[in-house]
Amino acid sequence: MEDIFSASRDGNLRFVKTWLENTSNDLNQGDDHGFTPLLWSSREGQTAVFDLLLSRGARITALNDGGDNGLHLAASKGNKEIIQRLLKNKCPVNGINNHGNTPLHYACFWNSEECAEELVKRGALVSQCNKFGETPLDKCKPYLAEILRDLAAQLGQDLKRIPYKDHHSKLGRKDDLRDIKSRLSWIQPHEIELTNKIGKTVTGEVWKGKWNDLNIIGKKLAIKIVNKRISRDFSEEYSKLRIFSHPNVLPVLGAVNDSNHLIVLSQYLPFGSLYNVLHEGTGIIVDHEQGMKFALDIARGMEYLHSLDQLIPRLYLKSTHIMIDDDLTARVSMADYRFSFMNLNKIESPNWMAPEVLQKSPEEVDQRSADMWSYAMILWELVTREVPFGHLSPMEVGMQVATEGLRPSVPPGVSSQMAKLVSICWNNDPTKRPRFDQILPILGKMAQ
Amino acid sequence: MASSPTSPSSPTGSLQRDSSKKDSGKLGWVGTLTRRKKQEVNELETEGRHAIESPTTPITVAPDTFDLDENEARSMVEPASLENPKVKELQEVLLDWINDELAELRIVLRDITEDLYDGQILAILIEKLADIKLEFEEVTQSVDSQKAKLSVLLDHVNKLLGIPHHRAKWSANSIHNKDIVAILHLLVALARHFECPRKLTSGVTINMVVVQKKGGILCPQKVIEELTAPTEGEEQNGKPERDAFDALFDNAPEKLNVVKKSLQGFVNKHLSKLSVDIADVDSQFHDGVYLIFLLGLLEGFFVPLYQFYITPSNKDQKLHNVALAIDLMRDSGLKFYAKPEDVVQKDLKSTLRILYCLFQKYKNLK
Repeated sequence: MEDIFSASRDGNLRFVKTWLENTSNDLNQGDDHGFTPLLWSSREGQTAVFDLLLSRGARITALNDGGDNGLHLAASKGNKEIIQRLLKNKCPVNGINNHGNTPLHYACFWNSEECAEELVKRGALVSQCNKFGETPLDKCKPYLAEILRDLAAQLGQDLKRIPYKDHHSKLGRKDDLRDIKSRLSWIQPHEIELTNKIGKTVTGEVWKGKWNDLNIIGKKLAIKIVNKRISRDFSEEYSKLRIFSHPNVLPVLGAVNDSNHLIVLSQYLPFGSLYNVLHEGTGIIVDHEQGMKFALDIARGMEYLHSLDQLIPRLYLKSTHIMIDDDLTARVSMADYRFSFMNLNKIESPNWMAPEVLQKSPEEVDQRSADMWSYAMILWELVTREVPFGHLSPMEVGMQVATEGLRPSVPPGVSSQMAKLVSICWNNDPTKRPRFDQILPILGKMAQ
Repeated sequence: MASSPTSPSSPTGSLQRDSSKKDSGKLGWVGTLTRRKKQEVNELETEGRHAIESPTTPITVAPDTFDLDENEARSMVEPASLENPKVKELQEVLLDWINDELAELRIVLRDITEDLYDGQILAILIEKLADIKLEFEEVTQSVDSQKAKLSVLLDHVNKLLGIPHHRAKWSANSIHNKDIVAILHLLVALARHFECPRKLTSGVTINMVVVQKKGGILCPQKVIEELTAPTEGEEQNGKPERDAFDALFDNAPEKLNVVKKSLQGFVNKHLSKLSVDIADVDSQFHDGVYLIFLLGLLEGFFVPLYQFYITPSNKDQKLHNVALAIDLMRDSGLKFYAKPEDVVQKDLKSTLRILYCLFQKYKNLK
């Protein structure tokens, strides 16, 4: 049977396209040897599939079980076009696999002159030793070694041998979610271990813990009795939160649904939320570039969610609901969804909510426009590094935003482009706010 | 102990019911047990069964007689507990009270389940007690329209009692199914609210069996359902014992102003953040709006404006607001005695009780 891995290997573009339509498919999953679809397409030189996967957010830094990144694989097969694409998207040119080899080792060994030159031009080190003390040049035919040595010297490389260091790089290696993905059935409470409580809101308690050796966050919903109706609604709504198909969306992995508990599980990410990163000093430096990357990530995630056939309601966008992955990718957390049967009377952080959400019932509100308002608040937060209305209590914020047109003020230091973007995104008239697909190109330009 | 399902002293004891009216469906056997005895044979048989089954043997249910889904639970009355003299006494007290109320309309009830389940007399009772007029068709025959009527009626009742839907222990379905527990709960709540002059029997409980399906197996579990509090008799019609406010109003009215002033200072310290200034504690909280604001300020949340009437124009809207405020407070774990109706009618004692309860919890909040 055709699967995504063989389809990527064989260049079956139609299959890959169809497969990506399914939101519960994770395009960054690896096969038995850790080859992701992107790695397969790199190895086999399937440029069309490669481009499609990349445009859907495949991780460029993915590694297989042997520690190979896309460049290792493409170089060993002499796929120059793929190498250029990978380099353009910042795949590490001197990545070291489990044998200590860099991509250049392979290009040299397989005598692929074009690829080797391309790699050297982009900074591949000709004197990097592998585990066995061999440099790429040692692997070359003599004539190619000469060409490369000259090229490297011209580019100012130090030709002294660089000894192999065991730096088992973990970058790019992800927790394997394969087993979990197939788990649609309910998790039994005894399978998970919740160790410490890290937060509490009106909607429930947030716990850190473990499930099958995977670090997870478990959200215990604040609900007194789980009756049959609630259990059914939970099950129905939960299934829509398993979105594995976009890199800027953090899916719900599984859930407990028994007569005593409703617990929603998602992956634990050590950096926490965007709110933690921006306001609670987790040691990550968010410079302009990183800030714009977060902004783009979130906009991409939202654009994707807004493109789904069935829009997911009550997914209130705010910085506490954006999780930061270990490679500093921002992801919209599906676990922070508010279930329909939960108390909707108490809103603890109206700070990110559009005036119409605070005033009108959900049926009367256009959610996409309301999300855009919330996004404007996050943009403001990213450029000012402040909590919107941080000095006011929820009741004050809610009343003033809803009835008095309160808006945070944009400080003078902010670029005029950004100030303008923010002001159109939080337009008082919801119908005048842009859509995410409209602002993505603008953000892309601003990020350059 | 009495052995037949109905009390011999009850005026309905000798009444013969239409025995062809079989209770069908899932709760059928509960209905059977609450129904009249019909024939001596039946009575004997029932007696014999009671002797065997209760109270020591748990109820055994064959899985196929109950079509429960996985994890679904259903509760049933343990038959013997209906024979408890206290339960019977409570039924009689309620029956007598209702008959007193309806005497002038020449309605006499004989049995609280049989006579109330279809909602006809219940509607008349509510109209009489609350002094309101409900717009209903006089008589409805079909089950569906009776249930529809019941649910409209119960909406009114819940509003009157200030009990949100999810807290009500009764529903149109349970009452129409002659669920004795639901009907008793409803009548007790009405008796408390409308200050029934008769003393409700205290400490009345009914043993329930809750059956839940787990892994395809029905697991019964005993639950004790409390109908009236153990101290019911000492309380005055459901009101808690006299508190500081009762004492204050009765004994030291001159100090009332001091209390009012300090509570006024407390509420203004917080409400001023919304540019609200309370000049008159007696009247400015009665529509519930400022109560909701105050609670949100103290507890740290915002209540979306579509959930209440920010400029209420009639009594119903005010009642809605106050009921919401009280529900939010109860949800936050605050305990106090106040009825939404009293607050709306500017009953100072009720208003002060609520404010004082907030003051106690939040007096140190800046």
